[in-house]
Amino acid sequence: MENNNPLSPHIQIYSWNISSLISISHRITGVINILVLTFVCLWISLLLLGETNYDYIKFFLQSIFGKFTILGIIWSFSFQILSEVRHLFWDLGYGFELKTSKITGLIVIFGSIIFTVLIYLFGRNIF
Amino acid sequence: MINATKKWIFLKVSSVILIPLMIWFIINLALIYDKEYFDVVSFFSTQPSKFLTSLLMIVAFFYFSLSISAIFEDYIHDEKIKNVANKGLYIFAIVIPLITIIIIFNLSI
Repeated sequence: MENNNPLSPHIQIYSWNISSLISISHRITGVINILVLTFVCLWISLLLLGETNYDYIKFFLQSIFGKFTILGIIWSFSFQILSEVRHLFWDLGYGFELKTSKITGLIVIFGSIIFTVLIYLFGRNIF
Repeated sequence: MINATKKWIFLKVSSVILIPLMIWFIINLALIYDKEYFDVVSFFSTQPSKFLTSLLMIVAFFYFSLSISAIFEDYIHDEKIKNVANKGLYIFAIVIPLITIIIIFNLSI
């Protein structure tokens, strides 16, 4: 049977605003996060192969590139968490007003950056 | 209850469970990512870590498969490609966490 459900138009036809930026970023970070979790599964699997094989991944994670990757992962998860909380408030019927929606969008953007820095510094035992 | 409603409820329930698990995950990732082999193994060998990592994998892959399925619904126009993509996604979302959980429960120092 042919499905006649309407499909979303492509994103390039809309003019950009905070809500659309958060919406597409929420989807992109969702895809990134599932890829990250797949690599975490691979990382855990490498532990079974012993210390020698683990040295390759340790070498990468201890490099500057590895540290930036970890920062990117923490940001991606932080963004997803804050954006999901925003979605849950919408589901409860709060935050639909244009001004509130813009403010919560900005909280998601800047909050995710602040969360990333705080969690990374906490992980480095800086405080 | 129609399928789309069930999917939406599953998505919301899993997201509520996932939020504290993701916070736990990123904090611990920042703590252990560059540690030595034995430190990382000992982290994953504790009972709370085994339980929380397994729960994270199950709920996260469940949640992400539902979310990505919604993206397929919005952007893939061809029904056959959409069905194949969804089936592939669901198999992936079952197999990867299952293998990881088996490995986690076999990890020991």
